[in-house]
Amino acid sequence: MVEKRKIRVVISKVGLDGHDRGAKVVSSLLKEAGMEVVYLGMYQMPEDIIRSAIDEDADVIGVSYLSGEHLVFTPKIVNEMKKHGLDDVLFIAGGVIPPEDIPSMKEMGVNKIFVAGSLTDPLVEYIRSNVRGK
Amino acid sequence: MCSVDELEELEKGTEVDWDSYLKAYYEKPRSAKTWSGFDVREIYTPKERVGKDYDETIGDAGKYPFTRGIHGNMFRGRYWTRREVIGIGSPADTHERVKVLADHGGSGLNTIADITYEMGLDADHPWAMNEVGLTGVNISHIRDMATLTEGIPLDKVSWSLITASTVASVTMAQYIAVAQNRGYDIRGLRGSVQNDPIHFRYCGFRPACPLDLSIRLGCDVMEYCTRNMPKWYYTTVNLYDLREQGITAPQEVAFGFGIAMIYVDELIRRGLSIDEFGPRFTFYVSCHTDLFEEVAKIRAARRLWARLMKEKYGAKDPRSMQFRFAVHTAGCSLVPQQPLNNIVRISYEALAAVLSGVQSLHCCSYDEPMCLPTEKGHLQALRTQQILAYETGVCNVADPLGGSYFVEELTDRIEEEVLKIMKQVEEVGGMKEAIRTEWLDREFEKEALKRQKEIDQGERLVVGVNIFSTEPETETPLGVQRIPSESARTQIEETKELKRTRDKCRLKDRMKQLREDAEEGRNVLPAMIEATKTFATTGELMGTVRMAMGYSYDPMEIIECSF
Repeated sequence: MVEKRKIRVVISKVGLDGHDRGAKVVSSLLKEAGMEVVYLGMYQMPEDIIRSAIDEDADVIGVSYLSGEHLVFTPKIVNEMKKHGLDDVLFIAGGVIPPEDIPSMKEMGVNKIFVAGSLTDPLVEYIRSNVRGK
Repeated sequence: MCSVDELEELEKGTEVDWDSYLKAYYEKPRSAKTWSGFDVREIYTPKERVGKDYDETIGDAGKYPFTRGIHGNMFRGRYWTRREVIGIGSPADTHERVKVLADHGGSGLNTIADITYEMGLDADHPWAMNEVGLTGVNISHIRDMATLTEGIPLDKVSWSLITASTVASVTMAQYIAVAQNRGYDIRGLRGSVQNDPIHFRYCGFRPACPLDLSIRLGCDVMEYCTRNMPKWYYTTVNLYDLREQGITAPQEVAFGFGIAMIYVDELIRRGLSIDEFGPRFTFYVSCHTDLFEEVAKIRAARRLWARLMKEKYGAKDPRSMQFRFAVHTAGCSLVPQQPLNNIVRISYEALAAVLSGVQSLHCCSYDEPMCLPTEKGHLQALRTQQILAYETGVCNVADPLGGSYFVEELTDRIEEEVLKIMKQVEEVGGMKEAIRTEWLDREFEKEALKRQKEIDQGERLVVGVNIFSTEPETETPLGVQRIPSESARTQIEETKELKRTRDKCRLKDRMKQLREDAEEGRNVLPAMIEATKTFATTGELMGTVRMAMGYSYDPMEIIECSF
């Protein structure tokens, strides 16, 4: 029997924002849920994230925003994804994001947003049911 | 008229689940543990204190070991300082908000730097341009500091400058330079600078805060202020940010003290005596939601610090033994789900701070898990402090929880646990080694993961998150704070303009002096102050010192030194 390929996730901070507690915790929790996770760490620019996502053949890109930079970087990340044809890769954002910005972020191309205080099960469930090939 | 189906639907909607109603009636607490995991008994009695001498282990407020507070009369002498942290966009934007809060009864000014400034980048740096002013105020040069402080009597107010990274040296240079340009004697300036670069590596600023540069520049500020600014608090060792990593109350104190002692050791190595600098040493502490544990933690910290200063460092002046602290209510306890509940969390946390005898308090704004504080959010947080001060009567008596069998017992247990953790740190080779080998990083990561699992598994309850949750909010009750994009643009343009138009010859001379002082191990503050007066920018001052210490000019390794 061929072993089923694990879901591959790239998690990253973007720009200078250094609040990385959540990104690291989410990375560990997704690993425990059986996914393959690469945490890129801090000081990544949108191009760096996308390059890593391609290199890692990621099914999911998760970006953590806690410094009000989500409206600045989201369009740039989406652009990079389009440029490289990552249309079937899930883009999930997390962190400190006011509810007022969620509709516009979805319009920009974020698939799903998990704000601070979100629980792990719904995140795992969301990824499993929406990842490509489902 | 409703159809039958619709009527049935309506009835279902209003139907109460009586089983769960009855369950709620008989419900008991699920856990008898404190936030940090201490098991507690049903009741505490005088038996707990048998054989423990009051004067030796507790003592009156104002007396060694200061368990009950550093002042005998506590708030009868003076209320705590009501400070709300402010930092948005440009110096002019922040200046406006400072005035609003001062107008409404805030009693201490408190401004916080943005990410780009803390990293030591000018507004026109390629990495800064996206994020200028998003999380605090950007100060790229002396004119920005002048705008921020415009019209404020610097010899009268107490200003808390929140720059924690190695850039705190630049902040002090800019503040002093502006004060001197306006004719103030810096010996009369009152306030504080956070200046705890060692801890700031854990807040995402590792490129700006390598360990030896952190000790060097942190202590340059401490030494300079000790010798020249007798009313200035030159460091606020930040236990709060450590706690925000997810660690427990005893870890917060133990790790914070470990970092504090690195500075103390270095200042003594430089030839200062403990009683010269000890009285101006201060701390920044978290207050979380477990009221009794937080009070016990602070009482334990006061006793431990007093003993450390006296027994380990030989302090003679009682003021050197006093654990002076500000409180920041726990940002990580707040959630965006049902956000108005945060006001209640913050109130309990602020109550813990006041019952602990806090010197200065920042209450978070209820909207912090969504955005930077709005003006309404800020004012509400200030009102929380004012209600505590004026309506509740909690400030009439020093250490009102002292003598509680439970609180005294918990204070002792936290103290024991702190000592145990400090010993662990010694066993890995001391705090510097714990930092260098990333032992401390691993402790933080372990604890953070544990906290999230406790919430995921329902062992730790958070209303609105894993119990009594409702549909997600679609709007923030009092609106969202936005950073005007023109503020960032102006900030970038003005920095470029300044770099084009300043007198480069004078600047070069001053920068040469700074570089020599840094290379030869002299205190860099005097040369930084002079250089900033000739319009050296934040990035240039930091870069010059970094190069002298063997680091890249630019922490992001993109731009080169232009001198």
